[in-house]
Amino acid sequence: MLVLSDRFFRIVRILIESFPKLLVPCLKITITLTLLSFFFGLILALIIALVQVADIKGLKQLARFYVWIFRGTPLMLQLFIIFYGLPSFGIFFNGYVAAVLAFSLNLAAYNSEIIRSAIQAVPAGQTEAGYMIGLNYFQVMSRIVLPQAARIAFPPLFSSLIGLTKDTSLASSITVIEMMSVAKRVAAVYYEPFWMYMEAGFIYLMICTILTRLQTMFERKMEWKQPDEVKAEMDIAKSENMKEKGRFPGGNEAC
Amino acid sequence: MLGVKNLHKSFGSNQVLKGIDFEINKGEVIAIIGSSGSGKTTLLRCMAFLEQANDGIFIFDDLSKDIRSISKKEIKEIRMKMGFVFQNFNLFRNMTALQNVMEGLTVARKMPAEKARQKSLEMLKKVGMLDRANYYPDQLSGGQQQRVAIARALATDPEVILFDEPTSALDPELTGEVLEVMVKLAREGTTMVVVTHEMEFARNVADKVIFMENGVVVEEGSAEEVLSDPKQEATRRFLKRILRKEEEE
Repeated sequence: MLVLSDRFFRIVRILIESFPKLLVPCLKITITLTLLSFFFGLILALIIALVQVADIKGLKQLARFYVWIFRGTPLMLQLFIIFYGLPSFGIFFNGYVAAVLAFSLNLAAYNSEIIRSAIQAVPAGQTEAGYMIGLNYFQVMSRIVLPQAARIAFPPLFSSLIGLTKDTSLASSITVIEMMSVAKRVAAVYYEPFWMYMEAGFIYLMICTILTRLQTMFERKMEWKQPDEVKAEMDIAKSENMKEKGRFPGGNEAC
Repeated sequence: MLGVKNLHKSFGSNQVLKGIDFEINKGEVIAIIGSSGSGKTTLLRCMAFLEQANDGIFIFDDLSKDIRSISKKEIKEIRMKMGFVFQNFNLFRNMTALQNVMEGLTVARKMPAEKARQKSLEMLKKVGMLDRANYYPDQLSGGQQQRVAIARALATDPEVILFDEPTSALDPELTGEVLEVMVKLAREGTTMVVVTHEMEFARNVADKVIFMENGVVVEEGSAEEVLSDPKQEATRRFLKRILRKEEEE
């Protein structure tokens, strides 16, 4: 009994001690890596999707080829090629930059497919109506198609952001000191792998929980169902309704 | 002012329009009737360049040329003077009723926002939708959406408005409010081409009725001539069928 409680206190102490050790690389590396990669990946994805939708000869084939390559090979392999492979051609990146590059390029392939299908999911009638009131292609895209596609693409894009948060742990394989590699090291020092990995898992879970909450919030903001003035009142009514039920509607358990 | 000559259109090997002649003058209301698959919607869509016709002459005001040789720029200019009302309304889902009506003024025609707003509110009032100006399409019934869509088409002062079965997607009890607005426009002298199944509407407001079947114009003339005293057997058959259906309802 005494031995057991000894061990219990030891674990609690280790967990508390190691928490900031995990949280710092989480905030500094895992989160920045996620946000940077997602940002660049999204811009590239939008370009790749638009090129295909606009059916620009040559570029469209190039875009398909790009998506084929980056979806068809493992992310780990892409990381390795950029970090370990490119130096043999005299191209060097530090681990962090290589990770941002690999994650952005990989994510762009997946997200471009999400964006492309969202654009194609906007009914043709919307485009036709746009042309008939005298809009040009650019105006139809920017004012009608893309805002509607954004709403369709939002949930799957958010899922890919949540996925990326966890995929950044792969960066530990190319010497980046992110949360996962710190957890590995701390686990080795204290010789408590179960509890260390549980703790790291808990932090990942927290990030994803926050992201999921954000998603629900944004999705509600993006609805085009309430008229402008009525909207505020409805939101109040909704939140009260929610308190009664004690849960958030439309919450996404993507984590 | 708007017309086509010898218009041909095929979808693959399926010939949908087989040499259509059509013309509408300023202030006229023309109803195009015919069963599904007769090509009446395709005719309308070809005149708005929503479908690319295979052959024919296109006429709009002073412009008269081969429909295949009309440039993108010319199409845009023509559309600037044309209104189109769709069967499925096609209101922009990401905009309120008011924004839908304003869009063609502020964005396509660079009208100052305040002026466009006034004009759009006026149009919404005309179709009886002023109290729903800030509602999104998803919050409106089909009939209300179609009335906003008509306001949107009207706002840009088009020379002609094309209506593609404007009441076909509506529940029977909602067609009345839309037809009412259309009758009002017709009485005010709006130039209208209306593809429709509403015989009552055609009889009451159309200056001319065109009956189409299998991609050709079978019969045309005044509403009285075509609807009450049709010369062609096909027209008689069609009207009989429609009448029977209306009675069943």
